[in-house]
Formats: sequence, structure tokens, C-alpha cells
Amino acid sequence: MSSTRQNINNYKELLEQYINTMDEASLYQAEQYSKASIQHNVSPDKIIEEHYKALVELFPNLDERVKASFQFLIQTMISYSVNYQQTEELREKQLELKTEIDVAANMQNTLLSTDVPKVENIDIGAKSVPAKLMNGDYYHFVQDDEGNIGTAIADVIGKGIPAAFFMSMIKYAMESFPEDRMYPKIILELLNRVVERNVESGMFVTMFYGLYDINKHEFYYATAGHEPGFIYRSQIQAFEEIDAKGLLLGVKKDTKYNQYVTHIQQGDMIVLLTDGVTECRSGDRFIEREEVLEVIDQYKEQSAQNIVDNVYKYLERLQDFKLRDDFTLLILKRNS
Amino acid sequence: MNLHIEGYQEDGVYVLKLSGEVDAYTAPELKERLLDLLNEDGTEVKIDLEKVNYMDSTGLGVFISGLKTSNELNSTFKLVNLQDNVYRLFNITGLNEVMDIENTIRGGM
Amino acid sequence: MKGALTTVPIYKEWDIVGARQSGRNMAKDLGFSTVDQARIATAISELARNIYLYAGQGEVSFEEVQGDTPVGLKIIAKDNGPGIDQISKVLEDGYSTSGGLGAGLPGVKRLMDDFDIVSNENGTTVTVVMWLR
Repeated sequence: MSSTRQNINNYKELLEQYINTMDEASLYQAEQYSKASIQHNVSPDKIIEEHYKALVELFPNLDERVKASFQFLIQTMISYSVNYQQTEELREKQLELKTEIDVAANMQNTLLSTDVPKVENIDIGAKSVPAKLMNGDYYHFVQDDEGNIGTAIADVIGKGIPAAFFMSMIKYAMESFPEDRMYPKIILELLNRVVERNVESGMFVTMFYGLYDINKHEFYYATAGHEPGFIYRSQIQAFEEIDAKGLLLGVKKDTKYNQYVTHIQQGDMIVLLTDGVTECRSGDRFIEREEVLEVIDQYKEQSAQNIVDNVYKYLERLQDFKLRDDFTLLILKRNS
Repeated sequence: MNLHIEGYQEDGVYVLKLSGEVDAYTAPELKERLLDLLNEDGTEVKIDLEKVNYMDSTGLGVFISGLKTSNELNSTFKLVNLQDNVYRLFNITGLNEVMDIENTIRGGM
Repeated sequence: MKGALTTVPIYKEWDIVGARQSGRNMAKDLGFSTVDQARIATAISELARNIYLYAGQGEVSFEEVQGDTPVGLKIIAKDNGPGIDQISKVLEDGYSTSGGLGAGLPGVKRLMDDFDIVSNENGTTVTVVMWLR
């Protein structure tokens, strides 16, 4: 068997060999020929041209009508390969874009990253997974000088890149606030003004903000239209829905927010989530919320991080390993 | 699931009767229809949601756009006949306090 | 024959076929292979189609040109249409001026050896050359 390199120039010989023997070896060489053609950027119409030329040389008395049919085929293939190349380039461009989005998503992770505070008697777990490349959910922890924990969980309408841009804006607005003890009500009122001024109509953000006083174990909170979370009360061994109301951020200038406070006992657990956790199937969502609580209940003796990880695994499986919405779940558990 | 929008006039009020689901796919058309009406000074629009059994946050976005437009111009709109699970969204987000909502009904899921 | 200019006016879709035929004949006379003739015809189609679809009317001319050693066929497509705002955009694949049907200008650029385009509010002129190999 001659080398592939040579074969490129020997289409005629290959063809002749095949016509005479009709053997598998020639066909195998045809395969090698076509592979080499791709490597050398030979377009399909050129291969047909090669075939036509070989045919005319091998069979000088070729019927004129057959010759004409080759002209027809060559013309067809020229248009085809020009258009095909165009499609190929579009595919490459698509890949390029995807790479750029990957970079943006990584950058977003860095920009929006927050450290989970380490506090002696409070165990914190957090997990946030985007449905697409960019995350429209956001959570944030801050600690003031006394160690009190501020926590925000937010969901911007829509997914993908616009949502991600928007979250960066929120994060930087929050970081510009003074470091000393900030009450949830004040934070939401300040953020509402930022969002209201900057957002295109129809885009909005829901946010729950909580402040955990680590000495008195009081939990202060306020909500801007965010899906209510839960508190697990160890005394009655049951979850209760966090009772709070407030308007979405960005709808009305000068919105005032109510602030609430509740005492957290030893063994209690604060569960904060986005609607990606409970709305993972469009359907009977009340059962879904209960299902999530059942999973949490099942793992409640484990660390807060283990609990959120397990809920995620459970919901991922429930959705056939394809998230339909961004997922964010935070758990604050008072150990002692 | 699709969204069907039926529009007609009744005693000088424009009525949009929706049936189906309001989500990211169907919201753009609804937004266009609603804002077209609200962009006219002084119009009154009634949106009947009796046959809407599912709405996601994109749907809320449509009505927030409507709210902002109607505040700028002199138009008004109200939502009527909301099913429980749809009303729940307006309740959680606090929008029921700033929008005109009437006649919630039981049912849906 | 050298330097002779043949011009085909483009008014209706059928004129595209006429332009192809004139271009192919000239390419044949110059000694281009049948496959190159087919390439030239494809390029002419695209250029003439653009005139027909977007400018309404214009013309396609053919001219024999001499390079250092080889001979080439030059095709000039000219219209008095609205012109092209951003030529770089039109030359990107995926930006289709003929509704996604034709190979458009990127395809013409690929088929031919030389490519040049001038456009302003008075119209567009595309000049392409294929050299005899």
C-alpha cells in the first residue's frame, strides 16, 4: 500500500485500481484520500473535479451527457462548499463567544464571591448554583466589629448575562455602605433607591436581608418581595415560615420596609432560599416547599454545609440533573 | 403551553382576557399589548387572569413595566380574577399593595 | 479582445443568468478550467443577486486584465443603491444580505483571488479578479 501523501496526487490510479479489482483495499485507500483532503483543505468540488478528470482520461469515449452531468454536479458542489464554509465559520465564532462567556462567568464568580463567616456557636452553610453560565442569584455575608452577621440573599428577574451585570451593581452598592451595624430595613431602603434609579423598567430584584446579633441571638430581618424562608424551631421540632412583607426593589421610589425580629434558640436553624429552590418544577409548588423542608429535616443533625449540599443533590436529581432556575440556599444553625 | 390574549372594549374600558401561562416565552407579546394600551393618555385597562394557571417572575416584570408606564402617563390598569397561586406571587413581592387587584379566585393547581 | 469590456445591465432576476453566461464565456475564452468557470459563475450570481435584491438595478462588467505574468478576469458589479454603511459587517459570515440564501459577499471573497469594495450614498461598486493559474 502506497503512502497517503502520494495518494493525494494519485486519484486517477486509485480509481483505476478500484474499477479493475473492486476490492476493499482500494476503498480503504479512498478513505485515506478523503482524510488527507480535509487536512489539506481540499474542498468537495475539487475532489469531484479530480474524479471527472480521471474519468475522462480513463474513458475517452465518455458519453457527452455524463460529462455534462459532472459540470452540473461541480457547480452544485461549489455553491454548497462556499455555504458550508460559511456555516463552519459561524460555528467557530459561536465557540469563541462561548469562551468569552466562560471568562465572564469566572469573573462574576470572583466579583461576587463572599466568605462565609466563621463564628463559634453559629454554623453556616451556603450554596449557589446557576442554571446557565451566569448566576442571577446572589448571597452575601458581612460581619461588623462585634461579629454580628449580616446576610443578604437576592434574586434578579431573568437569568444570564443581564441578571449578572445587575447583581454586580447591587454588590458594589452594598459594599459602599458604612461598615458599622446596619439594620436590614435601612439597607433595603438604600438599595431600593439605587435600583430604582438604575434599572430599566420591568427588571427587578427580590432581596431578603437579615442581621444576626451573636450575643443576644436576635435575628433582625426585612424583605423586599423575596420568597419567605423558614426557621426550624427545635423546641417544637418544626419549621415555621418567616413572616415578612415588603415591596420588590426598584418598583417605587422611597419605599419603606418593615423590620422584624425573632429570637433564635439553641438548635434552631434559619433557612433562606431563592425561588429556584422551591419552583424547580412548574407545578404544585406548596408540596415542593414541603419536600425541601423534609430533606432539610432528614439531614438536620449534620453540619449546615452538608445540609445545603444534600438539598442541592436532591433537587438536582429531581430535575434530571438539569437546573431550570438558579439555586441558592443558606442555612444558619445555632449550635450553642 | 401558550398564552392566548383576547382584547376587546367594554364600557370604555379595554379588556385583555388571558388564558394559558405567562412566562419568559409568552411575556414579550403580553408586554407589547399592554404597554401599547397604557401608552395612550387616560386609558383604562382591565386584565382578566381567570384562565392563567401559571405565571413566573417574567410575568411580574410585565406588570411592573405597566405600573411604571401608567404612572408616567395618565392611564390605569387593574388585574382581576387571579387564581390562588398567581395571587401568591403578587402577595410575596408586595405588588398587591401597589397595584389594583380584584376578585381573586380559588383553584388552579 | 484584451481590455475589452462587456457590460450586462441587471434589472430583473433573469438578468442574473445573462451575467453568468457572459462571464462564463469570457472565462472559457481566457482558458479557465471548467471548475474555475463554475466558481466565477457562482461569484457573478451572488454579485448580481445583491444588485437585484437590494439596489433594484445596476450592472455587471467583465474585463480581461494583465498582471505580472498571468492573465486575469475582472468582474465589476456596480449599483446606485443606498450603499453599505459598515462594509466590515457585511463581510462577516452570518451577516446575510440575501436573506440567508446566497453565499453573499464573504463567499464571493472566498471564491475569487482579489476583492475590493467601495460604497457611499451614491451606490456600491464591488471589484473582483480571478487569475489564471
